[in-house]
Amino acid sequence: MAHREDLGKQVQCEIEFHIECRAEDLIRSGVVEDEAWRRARAEAGRADTQSEKYREAIGLRLLDELWGDLRYGLRGLVRNSGFAAVAILSLTVGIGATTAMFSLIHAVLLHPFPYAGASRIMNPGIVNDENPGEERWFALWRPQFAVFGKAQCIESLLGFRNKSEVLAGKALPEDVLAVYLTENAGEFFGVRPALGRMIEPSDAAGGGQPVAVLNYRFWQRHFQGARDVIGKTLQLDQRLYTIVGVMPRRFAFDDTTGVGDVYLPASTMQETPAGPRFLIPWVKLRRGVTAAEASAQLNGLVHAFARQDPQVYPRRFHLALQPIVEPYQQNTGRALYLLLAGVVVLLLIGCANCSILFLARGAARRHEFVMRGALGASRGRIIRQLLVEALVISFTGAALGTAASWWLAALPMHLAKGSFPAESAIHINLPILAFSVSVALVCGILFGLAPALRLSRPVPGPAVQSIGRCLGGEGRHVRLNVLIGVQAALTLLLMATASMAIGDFIQITHTPLGYDPHDVLSAGIMTHFSNSAEWAAIRSRQGRAAYYERIRQKMAAVPGVLSVGISVDVYPPYGGSQQEVEILGQSSAREQDARILQVGRHYFSTLRIPLHSGRIWDERENQRGDGVAVVNEAFAERYASQRSPIGLQVRIPDLVSRAPLIPASSASSGWRTITGVVGNIPDDGLGRPVLPAVYVPYTTLMMPYAQYNIRTRGRPLGYLHALRAAVASVASGQQVSRGASTLDSILDSDPQWSRQRLYSVLFGCFSAMALLLALVGLFSVVSWGVAQRTAEFGIRMALGASKIHILWVASRNAMISAAAGVAAGLAANFLLGRFIARWMDNAAAGIASLSAILVLFAVCTAGACLMPAGHAASIEPSEALRCE
Amino acid sequence: MPESVELPQGALELLILKAISLGPLHGYGILLRIQQLSRDRLAILQGSFYPAIYRLETRGWISGEWGESENKRRARFYRLTAEGRRQLKTESERWDDMAWVVANILKAQPGEL
Repeated sequence: MAHREDLGKQVQCEIEFHIECRAEDLIRSGVVEDEAWRRARAEAGRADTQSEKYREAIGLRLLDELWGDLRYGLRGLVRNSGFAAVAILSLTVGIGATTAMFSLIHAVLLHPFPYAGASRIMNPGIVNDENPGEERWFALWRPQFAVFGKAQCIESLLGFRNKSEVLAGKALPEDVLAVYLTENAGEFFGVRPALGRMIEPSDAAGGGQPVAVLNYRFWQRHFQGARDVIGKTLQLDQRLYTIVGVMPRRFAFDDTTGVGDVYLPASTMQETPAGPRFLIPWVKLRRGVTAAEASAQLNGLVHAFARQDPQVYPRRFHLALQPIVEPYQQNTGRALYLLLAGVVVLLLIGCANCSILFLARGAARRHEFVMRGALGASRGRIIRQLLVEALVISFTGAALGTAASWWLAALPMHLAKGSFPAESAIHINLPILAFSVSVALVCGILFGLAPALRLSRPVPGPAVQSIGRCLGGEGRHVRLNVLIGVQAALTLLLMATASMAIGDFIQITHTPLGYDPHDVLSAGIMTHFSNSAEWAAIRSRQGRAAYYERIRQKMAAVPGVLSVGISVDVYPPYGGSQQEVEILGQSSAREQDARILQVGRHYFSTLRIPLHSGRIWDERENQRGDGVAVVNEAFAERYASQRSPIGLQVRIPDLVSRAPLIPASSASSGWRTITGVVGNIPDDGLGRPVLPAVYVPYTTLMMPYAQYNIRTRGRPLGYLHALRAAVASVASGQQVSRGASTLDSILDSDPQWSRQRLYSVLFGCFSAMALLLALVGLFSVVSWGVAQRTAEFGIRMALGASKIHILWVASRNAMISAAAGVAAGLAANFLLGRFIARWMDNAAAGIASLSAILVLFAVCTAGACLMPAGHAASIEPSEALRCE
Repeated sequence: MPESVELPQGALELLILKAISLGPLHGYGILLRIQQLSRDRLAILQGSFYPAIYRLETRGWISGEWGESENKRRARFYRLTAEGRRQLKTESERWDDMAWVVANILKAQPGEL
C-alpha cells in the first residue's frame, strides 16, 4: 500500500517519457506529428494499466486486492448496517463483560494489595480452641517482638499499632488515626511513596525521630494535596512531627483495623498510663516456606510467650496465619467466581449470536457468491472476501469490547465500595483481554468462513436461476438450529441464576429490621489518657461509667436531640460476640450460646426496639452492671420455649476482663436474672437469621470506648457540631471519634447489603444483555429466512395457504430450536441450580420465579420470531412471485 | 525485412540485463539497444517490457534512479547491480548451455542414434 500515489506517478512519468521519445523518433523517421503521437500512445497502452502491471510485478497486487475486499466488505456492512451492528454489539458485550469480570477477580482475589510479596504476608491471629468464634488480637510486647522476628520462617516482620490522637492547629481539635509502624515499614511494604519517603530504619535513632508520613486521603483532605507539604509540621497529642512523605492513593494500610491518617515511627510511641508499648505483628514469610511449616514454628514461640504471660492468652489456643487477602475472599470470592461463570456464558452467547448472524447472512448471499463464481472469481477469492468481512466485524467488536471493559471493570467498585479492599486498583488484565479477543476472533472467522466453504463450491448452473434462490426452502440449517438452541439454553440458565441473586436481595430489603435506623447518629467516644489527672478520674469502673453517663446527659440536653443510648461493640446489623451461656436449671446437653451485647438502658428506646414483656433494667442496676440481663425473642424461642423466660437465671462464664484497661464488675460472669424480652434485630448481618442474644449493662466490662446512638429531630449530621461542643464541655481533651455516621448510612454501606445489591445488578445486567442478544439473534435469523423465501411464500399463498400457516412456516425453525434450547436450559438449571445454591449459601430459584422467567422468555422469543414472520404473512403473492 | 522473433520465457530479462551491462540506460534506451542489437528482428511489446524492468528492480538486479536524458528531460536510468552482474553471467551461461543442447538435438540425423 505504501507510497501508492508516489509509485503510480513515477510509473506514469516513466511511460510518458517513453512515449515522447518514441514519438520524436517516429517524427524524425518522417511520420506526421499527429500520427506519430497516436502510434506512440497506442503502443504504450493505458498508463493506469501500466501502473497495475507494475504493482503486480513487484508483488503489491495482493495488497491492492485486499484493500478492495476491505472496501467492498465495509460497503456491504454499511448497506446491511443492522447485521453489522448486531454482530459487533454481540462481540462487544461478550468481550467487555468477560474481560472486566476477569480483571476484577484478578484485582480483588489474586492481587489486591500493592505490597511487595503480598501473597507471603500473613496476619497472625490467636484462636481460642474453647471458643473458636471469638475474635482476638494478637499483640506482642517489645521484647517478645524481637524474639518473634528472629524465627527462621520469617523474612520480615512488621509491627504496628493504631492510636487515636488529637491533631491541633485548626479551630476545633481533630481526632486522627495514627498508625505507628516499626521502622522497617518502607522495606516491608516496598511501595514507592507518592512524595518524599516512607519511614526508614534511621528514624529509630535517638529514641525515635519525630517524623510523619501521610496517608493519601488525609493529605488530600487536610492539605488539599499540596506538594510542598514535605518539611511542614503536624502537632499530634502535643508533639511536633515533621512530614517527610506522602503515600500513594493505593496504599491504605490497614483496611481491616482502620486506615491510618498518619504513619509514625514505632519508636516515638509514648508510654501511656494505660499500659506498656505493644505491637501487632504482620509477618512476611520466606519464599518457599509453607503456611503450615511457619505456623508450626511460630506456635512454639507463642506458646512460650503464653507461659510467661498466662493472663493475656486463652487456656487452650493456637496461632493461625491468615493470608491478608483472606477476609475479602471469604466475603466475595464465591460470588465473583459465579459472576465469572456468568460472563463466560455471556461471551458464549455473544459468540453464538455472531455465528448465527454470519450463517444466516451467508445463506442469504448464496446467490451473490454463485454469481461472482460464474463471472470468474476463484473460490479462494470469494473465501478471502468473506474472511475480510468476518475480520472487519470481529476486530471492530474486539476494539469496542476492549474499550467497554475499562468502563465495566470500574462499575462494581462504584456500586459496592465496602466489598473490596480499599487498595485494590482494577487494571485490565491483558492476558484475559487477549483471551476474550481471540475467542471472539476465532469464532468470527470460523463462522464467517463456514458459509463460504460450503457455498463457494463451483456449481453455478442451476443456482444462477433466480427462482432457485427464492425457493431455497428451509434447507439443512442444522448448525444454525443447534446454535439457536444452545443460545436459548444458556440465556435461560443465566436468567435463572440472576433471579436467584435478585431474589436474595429482595429478601434482604423486605425483611423488617426490628429497629428504626432513620435519624439516628452513631458516634464513638475514645477516652484519651494524655492528661493524667483526667485519666485518674476515669480509671476505675465507676468513675468511667459516671463519665460516660455525664457525656450522655450533655448530648441529650442538646436541643433537637430526642434520646441517647450507649452501646459497646454493637453496630446493627452486627453486634456483640458469640459466647457460651448457662441457664440455671437447664442441663446443657447441647452447646448453648448467644450473642452477648453490652448496652445502656436507653439503647432500646433510642433504637425503638420493642419490649415484648418484662422490663429493662433501671439506672441503679445499669451502674452496678451485675445481676440483670435482657434477652431477645430468638433467645426466648430457642432456650425457653416451654415457659416465660422472665425470672430465668443465666450466666456468661467468659464475660471476664483479661486486660488491665478494662475493669470488670465484681460478678460479671455470675448469675443474672432475665428481666425482659425485646424484639429481634439483626445481630449477625442482614439477610441472616437473628441469633439468640443476651443484653447486659455496658458497665459490666468497662471498655475505654463507647458508642453513642443519638436520635435527633431531622437530619442527624446537622447536630454534629453541637454534639462535639457538648462532649468538650465534659472534658476539654475529649473528642468525638472521626467517622460518626448515621445508622442509615451504616446499613447502606453494609458489605452484605451492597454485595447483594452488586450481584443483583450485575446478574440482572448480564441476563438482560443475554436475553437481548438472543432475541436480536432470533429476529435476524427469521428476518433473513423470510427475505430469502419471499417467492416460496408467494407460491404458498397463491395456492391458498392461510396467513397463520405462513406465520408458522416462517418462524417454525427458530421457534422449535429455541424451545428445545429452553428445555435443555431447564434441565441444566435443575442439575446446576441446587449445586450453585448450596455453594452460594442461597436459596435456589423457586418454581414461581422460574415460571416467571419461562413466561418472559417465551413471550420475548415468540415476539422476536413472529415480528419478521408477520412480514412474510403480509406479502402480496403477485409481488412475491416477481421477486428478483 | 526478416520475420520477427518471439522471445521465450525469461529471455527478455536476460536481454535487459545484457543491454544495461554495456552502460546505464533509460527504459526507452534499453528497448532501442535491444532492437538495435537484434538487428530489428525482435518485436518487444511494451506491455511486457516495463513489468520485466520492474521485476528486475524488485529483485535487486538492477537499480534505477532519476536523471536527465539527452533531450533534457526527466528519465529513469537503470544500471546493473553487483548481484545483477553475477546473475547475467550465470543466466547467459545457462542460456548458452541450453541453446547448445537444443541445437544439437535438432541437428541430429536419422542414422546417428
